[in-house]
Amino acid sequence: MGYTTYASFGLPTFLVVIVVLYLLFTDSGEAFDVGRFLEETSPFVWGSLGIGLCIGLSVLGAGWGIFLTGSSILGGGVRTPRISTKNLISIIFCEVVAIYGVIMGIVYSAKLQSVPEADLYTKENYFTGFALFWGGLTVGICNLLCGLCVGVAGSTAALADASDPTLFVKVLVVEVFGSVLGLFGLIIGLLMIGNAREFQGPTAPPAIRI
Amino acid sequence: MSADLCPPYAPFFGFAGVASAMIFSTVGAAFGTAKAGIGIAGLGTFKPELIMKSLVPVVMAGIIAVYGLVVSVLIVGNLNPSNYSLAAGFIHLGAGISCGTTGIAAGYAIGHVGDSFVRAYVHEQRVFVAMILILIFAEVLGLYGLIVALLMNTRVTGLVDCI
Repeated sequence: MGYTTYASFGLPTFLVVIVVLYLLFTDSGEAFDVGRFLEETSPFVWGSLGIGLCIGLSVLGAGWGIFLTGSSILGGGVRTPRISTKNLISIIFCEVVAIYGVIMGIVYSAKLQSVPEADLYTKENYFTGFALFWGGLTVGICNLLCGLCVGVAGSTAALADASDPTLFVKVLVVEVFGSVLGLFGLIIGLLMIGNAREFQGPTAPPAIRI
Repeated sequence: MSADLCPPYAPFFGFAGVASAMIFSTVGAAFGTAKAGIGIAGLGTFKPELIMKSLVPVVMAGIIAVYGLVVSVLIVGNLNPSNYSLAAGFIHLGAGISCGTTGIAAGYAIGHVGDSFVRAYVHEQRVFVAMILILIFAEVLGLYGLIVALLMNTRVTGLVDCI
């Protein structure tokens, strides 16, 4: 029961309880309205947050994996310098995770079109905003976890290669299984945005045909 | 009446369900793959011929991610901007959470079992059958979550008709 437990669990819980009781006892319980918050927040907020999280978390995962693998390659390379070139494949596996984040960032940012405030709050625009947010979060976190997993596996592969060169290809199979996770995140990110049109004002009435 | 049942923010919860299914399953799969994969290098240093059989926990951890992918794809297929009720959104959120959190549990179990298996396999080769049985029970945890998610997803069609 250290001070970190108090800070991370106790203090936030206490503050939330105080706020909830204040709203309850001053007859303003209706102020807590999740639906109104979701309706009032601009779809641009959701879209921009999603894209930022997508690229940010993907790159975080790639960087984490690269430093995990790289430090093992460099440490093992002291006694066995031959491992340095072949084990760059593991670094590339981690980098690919960042590329996935960049690709999804580019695909998502194509949906951000300028729409005046008065025309912004339509059902389609809400849908696109939510799709961008949750899609970006999914891609970002899946890539973060994939980068971590590939980094740990790559670190293991480097040390196995240092001890016996024939082991590298066999331990690489674990890395391939790990990198598939980032690909799944990419697939789901693309599917989420499939039905979502870009931000646009209300559709113009159809042209009159004579 | 129908407009209240189909508010414009209903897809928020549907997408949250898709994200939950994929993210939490990936947590379990990533943990299982990394934890089970670490010991394989150590095993390979002493007995390289046993590596192929030691990859079974890694494969089963990958299957957990496939469960999450399946549920996510099924939920995403039902999402659209019009004709989506709030009830459908919450059902999809529940389905995604059920698949995802069971995936965390299954992946965590597979990771630890795989790690212990690899360390024992070096010394005694007969633990392979016991490991397979234990892994099947761990994998089936994720399968239960998938089944419940699929059942919940089938209840969405024909629930509320938004005009």
